[in-house]
Amino acid sequence: MGLNMTEQAVISARAGQADIPPGSARLYTLVLLVDDRQGAIDRVVNVLRRRRANMRTLVVGPSEEAGVARVTVVVDDAEVGVEHLSEQLRKIVDVRQVLLFPAGQAIERELALVKVSCTTANRREIIELGQHFGAQAVDLAPETLTLQVTGRGEQVEQLLERLQPYGIRELARSGCLAIARDE
Amino acid sequence: MTTTATVTQESGDARRASTHATDEARELAGSHILCEALVREGVELLYGYPGGAIMPFYDALPAYPRLHHVLVRHEQAAAHAADGYARATGKVGVCVATSGPGATNLVTGLATAYMDSTPVVAITGQVGRPFIGRDAFQETDVLGLTLPITKHNFLVRRVEELADVVHEAFQLARSGRPGPVLIDVPKDVQFAKTVYRPAASVRSIELYRATRVPQPAPEAIQQAARLIAQARRPVIMSGHGVILSNAYSELRALAEKTNIPVITTLLGLSAFPVDHPLFLGMPGMHGPAFVNRAIGVTDLIIGVGLRFDDRVTGKVSEFAPQAQIIHIDIDPSELNKVKPAIVPILADAKAALAALAEAVEPGDHREWLSELRQWEAEEQERARRLSRPVPYPTPTDILDAIYEVTDGEAIVVSDVGQHQMWTARFYKWTHPNSHITSGGLGTMGFALPAAMGVKMGRPEATVWVVAGDGGFQMNIQELATLRDEGVEIKVAIMNNGYLGMVRQWQEFFHQRNYSETPISSPDYVKLAEAYGLTGMRVERREEVQAAVQKAMQTPGTVIIDFAIEAEANVYPMVPPGAAITDMIIESE
Repeated sequence: MGLNMTEQAVISARAGQADIPPGSARLYTLVLLVDDRQGAIDRVVNVLRRRRANMRTLVVGPSEEAGVARVTVVVDDAEVGVEHLSEQLRKIVDVRQVLLFPAGQAIERELALVKVSCTTANRREIIELGQHFGAQAVDLAPETLTLQVTGRGEQVEQLLERLQPYGIRELARSGCLAIARDE
Repeated sequence: MTTTATVTQESGDARRASTHATDEARELAGSHILCEALVREGVELLYGYPGGAIMPFYDALPAYPRLHHVLVRHEQAAAHAADGYARATGKVGVCVATSGPGATNLVTGLATAYMDSTPVVAITGQVGRPFIGRDAFQETDVLGLTLPITKHNFLVRRVEELADVVHEAFQLARSGRPGPVLIDVPKDVQFAKTVYRPAASVRSIELYRATRVPQPAPEAIQQAARLIAQARRPVIMSGHGVILSNAYSELRALAEKTNIPVITTLLGLSAFPVDHPLFLGMPGMHGPAFVNRAIGVTDLIIGVGLRFDDRVTGKVSEFAPQAQIIHIDIDPSELNKVKPAIVPILADAKAALAALAEAVEPGDHREWLSELRQWEAEEQERARRLSRPVPYPTPTDILDAIYEVTDGEAIVVSDVGQHQMWTARFYKWTHPNSHITSGGLGTMGFALPAAMGVKMGRPEATVWVVAGDGGFQMNIQELATLRDEGVEIKVAIMNNGYLGMVRQWQEFFHQRNYSETPISSPDYVKLAEAYGLTGMRVERREEVQAAVQKAMQTPGTVIIDFAIEAEANVYPMVPPGAAITDMIIESE
């Protein structure tokens, strides 16, 4: 089986990792389909660690196929570094496929649960603020309320910024999930 | 050798040749299924050491006389012996150990095989499934420990999957870029019974990307041929991949058709005959100055099956500053890893070299070659000027004697250190795959057990170990195994009473602060005798030839302890991190 043009182009585009120009790092999203066998996720994480990938988020969950896990990783790296990282990940026996997207190219979503301090006086205000960001109140307590928000990373960031003055007691973020756009 | 087609055929032969494997389904214990599967893979030799968690396997083993088990004296040696066997034969080497300390002792050997891409399958016993994760006696997380130093590893969870796992492990170990694979088998899985159906137990693993052997892209070959036609000062750099894929004649065809000189890396040595008019030498840290000088001015590198290791490139930004690079490798992650290639060719070395040799026009590089030979002659003339008469054996005396006495037919297994570099530089490599050493990991203690595997894999060959007095003592216990097995190896110890390479670095870079590098040795003559072997001590250079001859005439393993100059250095040397054209040479 010969190399198809894309593969050849990918390899040609990659330059030496040793020559990564400083300041060229940016965010990339890697989506891996991994056979869900013993140690498979360990192997993926191990390669990310050993190849010194600067990991922002890592999400593991099921895919459309039984026994195949979908791993979504956001890394902060130069293009040459991330291309090389993809090749290293492809070498893992359990890894079926590696897709690489520059940030923003795929559909990317994150879910966050935010527990905010509130009083009877400002509860409605906080809920309305959340609604601007499509957030729902999923738990109400006398001194706190919990909002659930979904969106691109920066949308989540914006809401968090607006909630900061009320006091964020606890924050749980899912990390980024991604799926390719269809033409 | 690394093609899927050949692999299938090998397994087929193994199946037909097997005396045990039959096609009828039977109920068998895991321990027997393990043996059956090994027989079906064509395994004849295993290096191992029993212990609690692997006892059911050892209980089954005597029922399979085709599986010759060699009881080593330390599990590290089992891994090195399996590695040596694999390097010498191209077949998968097998080692066996128990859980816990048995498995951890394999780690250095597996890491050695991983760095040098050699096919090894390691089988370890594990504590019973109910005890895993409970810090049971002799339990370690072997899967976790070996994760970064194996191509793949398995923990067998059910006896039903055991046979599949064994076949998959062998397939993975030898396919694509070869490497070690570990199978961890819990003790209760070895005891558990299931119906074993030999015919059903070769699972398809077509999904595994690295098992495919890509054919070179025709457009890339054409582009490479055009660059070769235009190059004025081209060099071929040949690595371990050429040996792993048996591409000697293809390499030679390309070199001879184009008249391009050949540089071989440490692990690429012996792929191209040293006495060939196109042979240059080894590049990098301890390569001859003229070879590194050639890399400094070359305009085209045709790199085959090498990974541009830091010992080869020195300072990467100053490596081959004028060269365009054509890089052939079977592992896509090696292409453009260190040096960008203008033409990366993802392919097995044999296929790519054959295609390239076909595509290129005949070339003539007489001027370039005569310039190179001029540099070489100057370097040799300088070395002659600096050489002074000495009473003790020199490394070249020893290596020349081995070459002459064996008519150049020996396989030479070196350890790690100064003697390794002298051996690489000064031995006359004329036969393919006659040089075996630990290159990537640089594992001291490798040579003696690896040579045992080499000799048992190639019993017709004469096998010489060249070792230092430091490394030889690291797996010295294997003399007992050699004696037990009646394996005949000849050992030359270059004994300078130092951990010589470290001492050399201390001399050059640490103001001669010889911290913990002087090292004593036992009396090797008495030691050999204690093990039931023969030992000799040689202190004068005129005795070297006769001693080597005597070793060849003496049956069994023979150790010769050569007292060499204590503070000799390996010249030239590129300081770590420097450009390879910036070498330390012997002062006048």
